[in-house]
Amino acid sequence: MHELSIAANILSIAEAKARERNGCSIQAVGIRLGEFTNIAREALEFAFEVAREGTLAHNARLEIEVVAMIVECVVCHGVNHPERTLCLICAHCGFPLKVVSGEELQVDYIELETEAERLAWKEYPYKQMC
Amino acid sequence: MERVPVQTNVLMANQQTAAENRALFEAEGLLVINIMSSPGAGKTTLLEATIKGLQGRFRLAVIEGDLQTDLDALRIRALGIRSHQITTGTVCHLDARMIARALTDFPLEDLDLLVIENVGNLICPASFDLGEGLRVVLCSVAEGAEKPRKYPVMFHKADIILVNKIDLAEASGVELSELIGNVRQVNPTATIFPLSCRTGDGFSVWLDWLQRALTTRSAAALVRS
Repeated sequence: MHELSIAANILSIAEAKARERNGCSIQAVGIRLGEFTNIAREALEFAFEVAREGTLAHNARLEIEVVAMIVECVVCHGVNHPERTLCLICAHCGFPLKVVSGEELQVDYIELETEAERLAWKEYPYKQMC
Repeated sequence: MERVPVQTNVLMANQQTAAENRALFEAEGLLVINIMSSPGAGKTTLLEATIKGLQGRFRLAVIEGDLQTDLDALRIRALGIRSHQITTGTVCHLDARMIARALTDFPLEDLDLLVIENVGNLICPASFDLGEGLRVVLCSVAEGAEKPRKYPVMFHKADIILVNKIDLAEASGVELSELIGNVRQVNPTATIFPLSCRTGDGFSVWLDWLQRALTTRSAAALVRS
């Protein structure tokens, strides 16, 4: 269950960026998740919900963009999207295939509450976020 | 709502610490191996046999990672080798910071080889760079021929793949050639050593390779200095 440490890392990167922008409430965290990582999407979503408590992202959505796995032959440069059974040997020439995409694990963006939104919230003191 | 681009690798903090570890290992002229496998594939037995083969010629130390107990560290210490146990509690992998912390009470300047035995797990340790020079994945014939295809990320990231317990191939109903073919499918470029740590079959090929790596490394360090 390393998704919990992955979620904690995502949150600390998101919080650091929010603080840099003087943001106090993160509404969404966008990540890019490659198909060829050992990270399970559902487990990560669950871990994020647990780990976001007590952070600036305690209300945030996790928006996951899955990045497809693409391989390219080092010799004939044929590009392919591997099927469920993974074989990294080129079907045409028998040389190794290089993974050119699908290993991504990146915080892509965060969405912050703007100053105007924050002030609007302030009119409802019981719903203040910070 | 304001969208702010971040574009930061999620494991950036780990990678920074791993880079610091790697720089330290390089500065000390030390080869560091990260051994990963499922539980029970034979990591500690491999280590014991490797230590016996290198002892007296090279200076070694071991960092053991386990969820609980220091049983593995004790097995290594029984051979007269310095070993440090990291017990991770519930964490399923070692990360670069755990290694950096372990290094504080671990002098490196008198070592040629440091072996890190990762937590037995074919999933999580694949994501965490420790700063090692070589990633070694050990699998055993007794686990069946399909392991590389079921855990492709781990096998794909390995530099060296050791196929252990080849003496049990027949009893396990596994064709060694099928297992090695499956390893090749997910990692066409890794160096593969089929061996048995228990009977010693094929073991000298791995040991010779490792000795050559260590000798070449110390020769290169001499030239540089």
